[in-house]
Amino acid sequence: MFVAAIVGLLVSMLFALVRAFLGPTIYDTILSVNVFGTKTVLLIAVFGFLMGRPDFLDIALVYALINFVGVVAVARLAQSLLRDKVAMLIACVCDSQWDC
Amino acid sequence: MLNVGSHCAIGGLNIDFLINIVLLGFLVCTALAIVFTKNLLASAMLTGIYSLLTAGFFVVMDAVDVAFTEASVGAGIATILMLSTLKLTGFDEDPARHNVKAGLLAVCGVGVLLLYGIVDMPVFGSPTAPVHMHVAPHYIYQSMAEIGMPNIVTSVLASYRGYDTFGETVVVFTAGIGVLALLGASNHVPQSRVAPMSQHIILRVVSKVLIPPIFLFALYVQFHGDYGPGGGFQAGVIFAAAIILYSMIFGLDTARSVISQPLIRLLSAFGVMLYGCVGIVSLLNGHNFLDYSALAHDPLHGQHYGILLVELGVGITVASVMILIFFNFASRVDMVQEEQ
Repeated sequence: MFVAAIVGLLVSMLFALVRAFLGPTIYDTILSVNVFGTKTVLLIAVFGFLMGRPDFLDIALVYALINFVGVVAVARLAQSLLRDKVAMLIACVCDSQWDC
Repeated sequence: MLNVGSHCAIGGLNIDFLINIVLLGFLVCTALAIVFTKNLLASAMLTGIYSLLTAGFFVVMDAVDVAFTEASVGAGIATILMLSTLKLTGFDEDPARHNVKAGLLAVCGVGVLLLYGIVDMPVFGSPTAPVHMHVAPHYIYQSMAEIGMPNIVTSVLASYRGYDTFGETVVVFTAGIGVLALLGASNHVPQSRVAPMSQHIILRVVSKVLIPPIFLFALYVQFHGDYGPGGGFQAGVIFAAAIILYSMIFGLDTARSVISQPLIRLLSAFGVMLYGCVGIVSLLNGHNFLDYSALAHDPLHGQHYGILLVELGVGITVASVMILIFFNFASRVDMVQEEQ
């Protein structure tokens, strides 16, 4: 049962990894890293139960927490990137309208 | 630590082995992807994956404490610091100014030498490897009687190898001083701005709910390190992560008004001092430096007190240095943005 779960998780990690490598935009990579983090949390938890070591759950918990903090940092960065891009676009539009 | 888990096998194939192979394959692919990615933001995100994989690998090898550290430092703080750095430097890789082919040749040469070195190494996991024959049996069989800690890793880290850990703590402290010296923008008083994520209600509420449990968890990791995975290093980083989360959501100025910067600077030195003082107390009691048996009448109690204090010192230093580093990076980012 646990073995099947682990195999399934590894396969889904592979999919996330493929998306991270190929991801046409940076946002695909960010999202796939997030998915990968969640899968790792699950993998560690399931592996802990498989080996009869429920204290692995502590590590899974740390991952979940740290993942959240990391995602907030990335989201903040993405937001500021987007804002820069919008500002640049507005500047371009203004230039093309009035700067002729 | 000893592997006490039961081994499951599917069709004669050990599940440990399968996971190891798959994770190592992922690791190699990720490393290659990091090398070939031109966008530095994507690279930073991929190093996050690399770190997650490494920690999964450590868990499978039953190095739980190392996995803990990798989880909190590698996947968390390192990614955040890398992102702050990228915000300062920009997201595109400069064209290579050095000779790529010479570098590749050097790397290949070193790789061949390393592969040549592997030939002499014992088989992976071999019980007769020199590393398992030297002091490891002593730690495994005697540490319960000598130190009295269920977690052998903590016994080795804080007591048998107390010097090394003291050195590591000093290194962390030195890193903090280095960052302060390079980026020391602490005197810079930013004008009050709206917190960057003020419009994200969900994030604000979730963080408010999450931050107290994170602190509690950090304390659990700090004081439960004697009995399970954890200890000062991990707890310090988790503690710092909560404060970093707070300052990311509610703004650096708010965080600074809550946490006084001079106090944090003082605390980062205090942790190292606490560690050193424990050593000096045992020295004054007529034992060796960092021999905690001197701290109480019963040597085992002395060991417990010593390890508790030493881990506390490590935790305080690590947490305050991490907070200092993040504050300095973040205020530098703010300064650069204001100039623009």
